Amino acid sequence: MLGLSYGRIQFTSDLLPADIIGISVYQREQGSFEFHPGPVFNQLILADEINRSTPKTQSALLEAMAEGQVSVEGETRALPQPFFVIATQNPSTQYGTFPLPESQLDRFLMRLHLGYPDAESERELLAGTNPRLRLPDLPRVLDDARLAALQERVDQIQAAPALIGYVQRLVHHTRQLPDCEHGVSPRGGLALLQGARAWAFLAGRSHVIPEDVQAVFGPVIAHRLHSAAGGEPAIAAAQRVLNAVDIL
Amino acid sequence: MEPVWQIPRPALFWLLFTVVALAGLHADHLTPWLLGAGALVLAWRVQIYRGVWRYPGRWAKAVLVLMCGGAILASYGRLYGLEPMVALLWSGFILKLLEMQRRRDALILVCLGYFVAVTQCLFSQTPGTALATLGGVLLVTVVLAALHRRAEAGYWRPMGTAALLLAEAVPLMLILFLVMPRLGSLWTVPQPRQGAIGVSDVLAPGDLSRLGASGEVAFRVKFDGAPPPHNQLYWRGLVLSRFDGRNWSRIEPARHPGTAPQSPDLSVERRGAPVHYQMILEPSGENWLFALETPVPESPEVTLNDDLTLTRATPVASRWSHSLTSWMDYRAAAGGLGDGRRALETALPGAANPRTRELAARWRGEVDSDAALVERVLALYNSDYVYSLEAPLLGRDSVDEFLWRTKRGFCEHFASSFVFILRAAGVPARVVVGYQGGEYHPDAGYLTVHQYDAHAWAEVWLAGRGWVRVDPTAAVAPERIETSVADLLGGEQAFLADSPLSLVRFRGIRWLDRLRLQLDYYDYLWAQWVLGYEYRQERLLTGWLGAWDPWRLGFFILGAGALALLPVLLGQLRLARRRPRPALERLFERYCQQLARRGITRAQGEAPRALAERVARERPALGADATVISALLEEGMYGGGKPDLADLRRRIRRLG
Repeated sequence: MLGLSYGRIQFTSDLLPADIIGISVYQREQGSFEFHPGPVFNQLILADEINRSTPKTQSALLEAMAEGQVSVEGETRALPQPFFVIATQNPSTQYGTFPLPESQLDRFLMRLHLGYPDAESERELLAGTNPRLRLPDLPRVLDDARLAALQERVDQIQAAPALIGYVQRLVHHTRQLPDCEHGVSPRGGLALLQGARAWAFLAGRSHVIPEDVQAVFGPVIAHRLHSAAGGEPAIAAAQRVLNAVDIL
Repeated sequence: MEPVWQIPRPALFWLLFTVVALAGLHADHLTPWLLGAGALVLAWRVQIYRGVWRYPGRWAKAVLVLMCGGAILASYGRLYGLEPMVALLWSGFILKLLEMQRRRDALILVCLGYFVAVTQCLFSQTPGTALATLGGVLLVTVVLAALHRRAEAGYWRPMGTAALLLAEAVPLMLILFLVMPRLGSLWTVPQPRQGAIGVSDVLAPGDLSRLGASGEVAFRVKFDGAPPPHNQLYWRGLVLSRFDGRNWSRIEPARHPGTAPQSPDLSVERRGAPVHYQMILEPSGENWLFALETPVPESPEVTLNDDLTLTRATPVASRWSHSLTSWMDYRAAAGGLGDGRRALETALPGAANPRTRELAARWRGEVDSDAALVERVLALYNSDYVYSLEAPLLGRDSVDEFLWRTKRGFCEHFASSFVFILRAAGVPARVVVGYQGGEYHPDAGYLTVHQYDAHAWAEVWLAGRGWVRVDPTAAVAPERIETSVADLLGGEQAFLADSPLSLVRFRGIRWLDRLRLQLDYYDYLWAQWVLGYEYRQERLLTGWLGAWDPWRLGFFILGAGALALLPVLLGQLRLARRRPRPALERLFERYCQQLARRGITRAQGEAPRALAERVARERPALGADATVISALLEEGMYGGGKPDLADLRRRIRRLG
């Protein structure tokens, strides 16, 4: 539907980094090694059940997500643009899960809780045909170039000094929460502003307003707040931050 | 290892500049080699900063210190004394520059700098000095501020900081000035004697003419009421009774600590209305004072001598003021002159000036009374003598030469020859030196006596009348006594020769003369109110506080001090919470206040749009207005738009 190449990686406990990045294989005919790119060389990647693999394998995605490139056998290879990773996580209380390192979490723009569909949607879901069968019929609405253009327009959304100040105070406030070990990193602040820009863009505005920031604050910030006590859901902590920081 | 501390470049610049400026302030009392050493150290310091030269080693420093100490000892001849001490402070100050390896050293240097800047007040207390000291203190503070900033702050920011700091300190300074009790000197430092000029206790021909070359102020006088006429303003300083053939000197008078106006020892009969006045003396380095005839001093430091002159317990080393009362109509020692005293007052040792002695003996036979003899001598002066600052030099028989050959002289020539003739004729007579006249400031009502007003006259013992003042100069040049020496001799080259820039020289130019009087007036006010404040402090404070006791004073200092520091405190608070508050944000706050009045309190974190939506839900009547206002505010605050502020303000006001 987005017109992007797609790769799906099923994370398991015995998955190795090479399974993601790719591997050089000796070609007997040419007498040389040839690189076989792994599933990471796609534009849209679904990292399914990412916390089932070991941190070593998880971190294979670090460079890819941060810089849009991977280094294999001393060679740096660029990933296709745009590059987009979606990951799913199993509840950490299940067997065979490894907690994601904070640095890895920080690289995800947002964490969304899907939960269950509401009754109406569920009825529609049940009443309709199998959605998988409809997939091939979906029209293609975007391609690389249009998506890049849209991203560029998001970057052009204005953030006034007053708003930048608001974002900064929000981020700063998370660092002073008594029950959080670490606050939000500068990367998190950038993600918050970028998310707010995108939200403003979707709303058809040329500038970001505090409401945009508030709208994306929970998904962007919650997974970055590492609750020391662990009792309170991170999303509630994020809401408290919103209530505590004034827009001025 | 600790990183090497490097002084920020602006701080170094200001420090070096300050050293140069302080050297300029002290140029008067420091020997030239000390200033040269300062230049050398500055160059060394710059080279250290550039990394070309190294800090001096331990031995080199020891040698430098010993050299400075030795050189100070050699050039001042002693180490104990004001000037050598300041020189020592100065050399310590500049040598510390070579040792400035850490920030702590730089701070020590700043402290020393404050001392160096302030020590110049020990030498001079004029308003100019005060201003210069203030400038020095400002510069040192700039260094201090620059040391606490990073180099990127630039060269001028520390200047602003320092100026602000000093401005904040001014109220405290004023309060301390007003209420601090003036303690007497806690220690004594031998004061510099050289440099100060004035009337001396030995009078040789030509001495007073030299004073005519100086336009400096000797003292100022403020009379209670109208001043006496100019020709009565004889400021007696010293009585010179001993003559050694050329010089007149004083016989140390007996002092009378009890200075009751009718003290029997002095056998003075005071008559008429007294004149009360306050004198502000410039430093003379001497302990004799000047006063109108038959003074009674008020200050306990001053004693009255039996020749009716005044002596202060210690030399006048800095500006000093005291009050006294004089009875100008008086009769001194009418009771008679003892034989011993008579012998002293007629003594003429040696056999010099034979021609004068012969003349005196002849006249003695021709007249029948001492008074007639005096008239005769004055008539002689009135014949063909010239009053001038440019008197020819006189040889061994100085009186003979003056009376018959040169016939040209200043007041000391006339006074000295007059007394000589009278003594040769057996009449007790003596020379009195002091000042005559003064310049009256018409608007401010005070009298300024300059060094060129120095004067010498005579006192003659007349039987039945006691000591009588006779001024032979008045016979030669009555204008001298009636107006002023400046008017009379202003055209002569010797007049003000030592003060080429003195404005007295340009009395002919009207506006310059006004300027001179005005400057002199400021100087007088300064002396009167700042330096002389200790004399009115108690009365003033008693007036303010109702009474004078330590508790009241303490509370006053605390209260006024707190009041003076309040602006500083408020400034700090403001600084701490200062955030840019653009007009739109203030309007937004105003908008929230208006809504709060209508019962809608903005929640923390609620932005204009969300607020308007809530208003529309909870108070539909206000909804439309609020939506417009919120949209305008949002556009202005976040959208970079420029809404019409006046219109917005109107809308917000209407909301309430």
